[in-house]
Parts: sequence; C-alpha cells; structure tokens
Amino acid sequence: MVELAAEKHVRYIITVEKVSYSIRKLTCCPDPLPQYLQKKDAFESVVMEHLRMNGAYWGLTTLDLLGKLHVVDQDEVISWVMECQHESGGFAGNIGHDPHILYTLSAVQVLALFDKLNMLDIEKSVLEGQISAFLVHDDLILIHRAEKNYALGLRSTLTLYSDIASLQNEDGSFSGDMWGEVDTRFSYIAICCLSLLHQLDKIDVEKAVNYIVRCKNLDGGFGATPGGESHAGQIFCCVGALAITGSLHHVDKDLLGWWLCERQVKSGGLNGRPEKLPDVCYSWWVLSSLIMIDRVHWIDREKLIKFILDCQDLEQGGISDRPDDAVDVFHTYFGVAGLSLLEYPGVKAIDPAYALPVDVVNRILLPHD
Amino acid sequence: MAKEGLLCSEEEAYDLLDQLEHILDHDPLIDEVGFIHPSHLLVLNKEADATLVSSDIQELDARMSSELSKCAAPKGKKAFFWNKDHKLGVSTAYLLPLYKAVKHKFMEALAIYKMHSGSSFMNENLPGNVAFSKLENEVMRHSRALLLLSSDFGTAWNARKAVISNKEDFSHSVELLVSALVLSFAPKSENAWSHRRWVIKRIASRCDTLEEILDKESKLVEKIAERFLWRQERILTTCVPPLQKSKMNYRAWNHRCWLISYMSSRQVLLELDTSRYWAALHVADSSCFHYRRKLMLQMLADASEQQDAVACSSQLRSVRKFWKDELDWNEMLIRRYIGREALWLHRRFLSVGWVKHFGANEQNPNGEGEVNNHVKVFMDYELSLLQDCLNVPESEFEDVQSQVIHAASYMLRLNWEICSSSGINLNQKRRISDLRELLNRLCPEKSILGGDIIYYASP
Repeated sequence: MVELAAEKHVRYIITVEKVSYSIRKLTCCPDPLPQYLQKKDAFESVVMEHLRMNGAYWGLTTLDLLGKLHVVDQDEVISWVMECQHESGGFAGNIGHDPHILYTLSAVQVLALFDKLNMLDIEKSVLEGQISAFLVHDDLILIHRAEKNYALGLRSTLTLYSDIASLQNEDGSFSGDMWGEVDTRFSYIAICCLSLLHQLDKIDVEKAVNYIVRCKNLDGGFGATPGGESHAGQIFCCVGALAITGSLHHVDKDLLGWWLCERQVKSGGLNGRPEKLPDVCYSWWVLSSLIMIDRVHWIDREKLIKFILDCQDLEQGGISDRPDDAVDVFHTYFGVAGLSLLEYPGVKAIDPAYALPVDVVNRILLPHD
Repeated sequence: MAKEGLLCSEEEAYDLLDQLEHILDHDPLIDEVGFIHPSHLLVLNKEADATLVSSDIQELDARMSSELSKCAAPKGKKAFFWNKDHKLGVSTAYLLPLYKAVKHKFMEALAIYKMHSGSSFMNENLPGNVAFSKLENEVMRHSRALLLLSSDFGTAWNARKAVISNKEDFSHSVELLVSALVLSFAPKSENAWSHRRWVIKRIASRCDTLEEILDKESKLVEKIAERFLWRQERILTTCVPPLQKSKMNYRAWNHRCWLISYMSSRQVLLELDTSRYWAALHVADSSCFHYRRKLMLQMLADASEQQDAVACSSQLRSVRKFWKDELDWNEMLIRRYIGREALWLHRRFLSVGWVKHFGANEQNPNGEGEVNNHVKVFMDYELSLLQDCLNVPESEFEDVQSQVIHAASYMLRLNWEICSSSGINLNQKRRISDLRELLNRLCPEKSILGGDIIYYASP
C-alpha cells in the first residue's frame, strides 16, 4: 500500500499559505500584478479570499496533526486573525469583510492551536509583554498590530461571547450573522466555540439541543433545518453539538450508524449522501460521527485508509477529493484528519467533536492544577 | 485580440467593468451568465454579427448595440462579453483584473455608504424612500457585478440587504432575479440561496399568500437541479467536480424543503403532484425523493390535525390511498430502473411508514392478531418483490449487482425495523441468513449489514 507522504503535504500546505499570503498583500497594493497571478489558478485562489479564515484553519490544523505547526510564523498568523475581528465581536473570513459565525469558529480554532485563546480575553500585561517583545525585534508593523490587538482584545472580552449568544433565536436555533439565516451548522459552531471558551452558560443549551433534535430525520440522520435532507456534514455538526453538550442520548445510534456505514462505497471511500460519489472530505464527517456514536467498527477501515492514500499527489503533495483529481487545502486537511481518526501512524490524534488535535483540546478543557 | 495571460492595465480593467455594468443595466432581464474561453467568445460574437445583418432586430437589441458602441472598449467590445436573448457570456481572459477592479469599486462605495448612513444604517424606522440615492445605487451596481465573479462574497450580499432594508417599497422580485442570475452559474452558492430566503421572508411579512412565489421557486429549483452547465470554466473549485455540480444539489433542494412551511394543505398536494413527473425522470436524485417524503409527512400531519372527526378520517383515507399509490409507483420504478439506491431508500420510508401509520387501520382491525396478519401479508408481498429482484442471472454489470445489494439490504432493514419491533416472526430465518451471506459476498465493505449490525442492533 502507498504510504502517507507527510513531508510533501507539509511543503504543499506551506506553499499554498505563502502564495495566499502574498496575494493578500498584493490585493492591498496598487502595483501591476506579476504575470503568474494573471492565470486562472490565481483567479481561483484570489476569488476565495472571503473564506481565508477557514483556509487558515484547514492548513494549520493539518500542519499540527503532522507535528509541524512550528514552521509557520505564529505572530504573523495571530496578528492577521485578530485583524479580522469585527467590532461586533465576531470574525470575518478576511480583513475588511463582514463577520460570520463560520469564520468565528475557524478563528477560535486557530487561536486554540497556538494556545492563544487569551487573545480574546486579554490581560493588559500580556499584550504589553507582546509589544515589548516586538520592540526587541524592531518590527514596527507587528508593534502597530499588537497595539491594535490590544484595543481589540479589551473589546473582545465583552463582545465575542455576547455576539455568539445574541445569534441564538427564540426556538433555540442559531443564525449565522445578523441577517438571520438559520442552520444546524451554526448551532454546532456556537456550542463548539463557547465550550472552548468555557462560556456555554451564555446560551440556552437545552433549547439549542431541542432544536437540533427537531432536525432529526426518520432515517436517523440530521438536516440543516427541520425537514432538511440528511447530509453527512450536517450530521457531524448535530452529533458534535450533542456530544459536546452531553446529549448523545437523543441520537438513535443504531439507526444513524446504519445510515453512516451505508456511505461506504466499493472503492472504500465514503460519500456524504446516497447516490453520490465518494469524497475524501467525508472521511472526516462520516467517520467522526461514527466515532462519537461508538459505531466506527461498522465500516471497513483498511479500505478507507487505502482510498485516502490513493488520493495523494505523491509528487507535489496535497490530497484531492478522489484519486487523480486536483489537490486542495480543504481535502488535504480532511484526508489527514480522517487518517488521524483511523489511528494512522505518524499522525497526531484529533478530537472528533472539536475538530482539533486531542492535546489542544485537553490543554483547554482539562482542569489545570 | 485577447490572449490568456495577457496583462491588462488597471485603467483597462475599469473600462471592462464599465462595459459589464452597462450591459447589466440595459438588459435587466439577463437570466443566465457563463464564462467563456476568448476563442469561443469570438465565434459567438461573429455568429451574432451575422444574425444582426440578416434578421429583424428587436428594439431592445438595437438599443443595446448602439449603447454598447458608445462605450469606449479598450480592445473592441466583442472581445470580452457576449449578450443575446438575455444571456451573458464573459471572457475568461481577464477575470482577475476585472474582479480586482469591481472589488475595489464595491468596497469603496460600501465604505462611503456606511459613513453616510452612519447611525441610521439599518434603522428600519426611517421613512423609506422609493428611489435609490446615488450612493445606494453605486453599492447595488458594484455588488451585483462583484457577485457575478465571486458568488459567495458574503459582504456584497449583506450590503444589498442593508440597502434594501431601508426601502419600504422596494420591488423584491428584482432582487430574486439577481439571486437567480448568480445561481445560473453557481447553482450551489450558499449565499445566493440564503439571500433568496431573506428576500422571501420579507415578502411573506408583507403579503398574505406566497402561492405565486412558491410555484416559481419550485420551478427554479427543478431547473437548477437539472441544469447542465453551459459555462466552460469553473470559478469555484473547492470540493465539487463539474459533473456533480448539476446533480443532486443539496442547497437547491434544501431551499425547496424550507418552502414547505409556507405551504397550505392544497399546495402540498399540488407539489406532490407536480414533483412526481420530475422524480420519475430523475430516479437517482435522492434529494427529490426526500422532498416527496417531507411533503407526505406534512400531508399526514395536516390530516391528523383536523379538528372535525369526520373530516379527519376522510382525509386520512385519502392520505392512505396516496401512500399506497406511491408504493405501487415506486415498485414500478424499481423494476424499471435497476440498481437505484434512491428508489430503494424511498421504499424503506414508504414501507415502514405504511405499517406504522396504516397497518392497524387495514379493513377491520379487531385486535393484535389482525394487525399482525396485515403486516404479515405486506411482508410476504415485499418478500416476493425481493425474490424477483434476486432472480436475475449473475452479471458483471454494476446496476444488476447494485439491484441485488439494495434489495437484500432493504429486506434486512424491514426485518429489523418492522418485524423485530412488531414481534412478528417471519419464520424466514433461513432466508435472512442467506441474505447476509449474499451481501458479504457482493460487498464485503458492507459486511456489517450482513452480519453484526443485525445482531448488534436488534431492539
């Protein structure tokens, strides 16, 4: 069997991150773009700039799972993340964009990876310490950012929690932003974020759980809203939220387990719904759900591992949705995360509910002495 | 001529943007956008020229071309856009500079707009004036062009919502067109669908009936769900390959499911009736069958909620008849279209629902024994369907194998859900173990269905 080309994937992630960083800088500067950025590939990455926060989470978590988080410039990333925080408290997908709960989760997860959740609940002395550290290195840009973060930090103490809590609706559901779209993904995000920040008491957990239960279908799966079709991604969100709130007794584990294990197709890969092609990203959503409901032994693990490994670009690094397709950061993350759940050697363990490395989750949630 | 990779100055990019916005302003009924390779665009425009000479020109077209020629195009107007019969083609050659230009314009307009609206931003108590101010107009124009290049640019959708929120008399149908235009090339755009729901909620809060809108939405979802994309280039490549883009669009069907909550009982029946034809033509579209399941459950709920006992039982009788028809129709499709997972999953729902909701109502239900007898008759029928599906010569063809697999797991599922819970002993132990063996042989990755799950998951 092909092995995991971990080093190549690390190099791939770093290259992509670097390119998107330079694009980020370029979009702010008026100079003519270099030739290579005129190409279609470049258009495709620039046009994704609104969800760069998600990209940062996918890339950085992959690096951490492969034990290589230290290769990125931590201060650079954190400064950028904090610049994406909006006055309301929530985060945007990139600087200058509107906030949305989808990006708030990624921002919180990235800060968690670097053990920097205190940026959200910042003590004056911490930031002063940070600024003086930058002074030593004579980095004016970072000093400016740290000062800005300081101002933001004080504000975010008050606003991030209340911003997430304010998105809860009367029926227990959550909106993604002030414009009111409702989705069980947003329920998961709110619960996951607040749990990582030890602030679950800021929302009505019981109502939130009841809403998720209303989105359960007769096939055992969950949809985006009551009546919505079951989808592996939505199931992960609902089961994850129920797991975090200790409410898994609402899940019919055998019924849902049956639906989930029927997602495995002949090639060993998993699809996200009936009649669909297999896709590496479902290695994460289906598998993590099966683990949370204790039914992971209902699928053929060896065949799934082989499927994921067959989706690698062994020359340039990166993982694609299916064998021989083009790779991207999104599928590279879900492929590596899937292998982590399958206990593949050399990959750190990932928590199936929080979607963060287990050591990161333990650091945050286990009581300190 | 436009070549891929050619540099385009900032000034030229803004000229291109002017052209694009000009076309959009003057043909507000454009309902489809595609991204076309420059060489293909050239051919299309040559054809258009030929048609212009030989045939009658509609007034609008005439106005369009004269207006367009006034617009100074840096490299000839035909090189970048193609616009005919309310369809718009955009050259793939300069997408990046065009995107950068429009994003810059939009962000600039939005910043000025926010500054001026200040504290009144989003204040719904302000008297809404009908016409857009110049500032609002800029935000609306640039956001529309930007969304054609980046369909999930949430900030642009939000800016439109902010502007519209301050307009009491805004024509929401215009906004539905913009969303439909974006969906024409990005049918899975989450933001475009969500924006649609936001607009529909506003309409719903202003008028009593959504009947006409619901009908239009249903048609739109069907159109998008079966659309074969005519554009040559893909813009967003995150996780969806082109072939799948047009099939089983989760967001589109989710939108249609969401609309059920706005439907009257009559509309639910109408939807069941009209979606049946589409479903029969798309038997692999599991999302459409899910939609039918939701409609059937709604129909059942509507009947059960009837206060009047006579009306209630009469309605339940017609639901029962509908359910039976659906079972027969589904069987016909299963026999005709071999190996379709979507059809077998639909049958699981129908069979379990049939026994659960109507099993006890069969003829003269005088007691447990009668009920079980009815269920037994039903199960016998299903076993004979199973037998027919298994009695096919062994074949290498995938659909034949799939039919056997789906039929076998269907029966195991019924055995688990119906027989075990109703305490019926099918006396088919031999047959069940045969089915397990069969599944183990045909799809070892699903070995759990053939073995442990039944043992493990027995209620």
